[in-house]
Amino acid sequence: MKMRLSLSFFLTFFVFLSSVSAVEPGRGLTEVPDRPRAPGFELPDLDGRIHRLDDYEGKVVVVNFWATWCPPCRAEMPSMERAWQRMKAAGGVMIAINMGEDEDTVFQFTADYPVSFPLLLDPATDTAGPWGVRGLPTTYVVDPEGRIVYRAIGGREWDDPALLEKVLALLRAQSH
Amino acid sequence: MRLTAAWASSLLVPIALAAVEVEVGPETGLKTWIWRHDGVSLRLVQRLPDQTRAYLMARGFDAEWADRVARACLFGSMFRNDGTRPLDFDLDQWEVVHAGGRGRMLTRERWEEGLAGSPVSQAGRIAFRWSLMPTRQHFEPGDYNWGMTSYGLPPGSRFDLVLRLKLGGETIEARIPDLECAPETLEERP
Repeated sequence: MKMRLSLSFFLTFFVFLSSVSAVEPGRGLTEVPDRPRAPGFELPDLDGRIHRLDDYEGKVVVVNFWATWCPPCRAEMPSMERAWQRMKAAGGVMIAINMGEDEDTVFQFTADYPVSFPLLLDPATDTAGPWGVRGLPTTYVVDPEGRIVYRAIGGREWDDPALLEKVLALLRAQSH
Repeated sequence: MRLTAAWASSLLVPIALAAVEVEVGPETGLKTWIWRHDGVSLRLVQRLPDQTRAYLMARGFDAEWADRVARACLFGSMFRNDGTRPLDFDLDQWEVVHAGGRGRMLTRERWEEGLAGSPVSQAGRIAFRWSLMPTRQHFEPGDYNWGMTSYGLPPGSRFDLVLRLKLGGETIEARIPDLECAPETLEERP
């Protein structure tokens, strides 16, 4: 089983490396007009613990949609972890929802890309439609009132000072 | 091939062919076409059928269906908006010009129809769906998507791609000439 997964992982990595030579991050966060209410979700993490968006009411939540085979998703994970380290001290939350893969695949991914924020599983990709996700990665920033404030389509350097400052500003407002 | 009213009624701005660059990977030998206009870029990288077969079979496709997809002319694709205006695209409005005819790309929706009734698992279909470029998308400046695009032609085929997009509300039409579907193997390259 491990051998099969390793081969699959290697092939995936090779195929995408040879398809698109470099994945440059996008830039900035787009302010979402009228701050629509974020759709709820109820999904398990790798330990089987259920997470609901409502659990984080009153907090700034970064919600990332991703998959292990997606090069920009992989590329942004380390910067998401660095940003998460800055955010959590201020009471922020970061969540990454995996689209369509199983627990083994995501678990194996964490060996190469260790992250400490929750990775949730959505094998049927049911959350994508309500959130308006069309391509991966797509990330939203939700304010303490549960409204979508920012959106980013494509990977980002999440600890880029200008980008992170927008999230930290929401966190400062949250704490007042 | 018909344009929807919304796209056809907009002012079409044709863009010069000179905006296309072609590169050959020094290690892979695969060709890349890069179209650029006003901060927007579309990069199309040939995918060998074996690359696609391996990718799909690792996700539960059987050999027959992996082969059907793999031989349908797939490119690794990166669509970016590094400009200053919002961008909208709809792949159903793009045209594949081949052997004197005009056809449509094989989008997510068309592949889903094609895979209906196949033995490919739901997980495999989901993985394939999300691996393809979204059919319709809105990019603000700084956004991009990565994904495969598919043209439904045999390996080694040559074709032109007519692309249409809206940039800041202005409809842009451009043509990427003489794209080549990857051959079955690189050894077949002349």
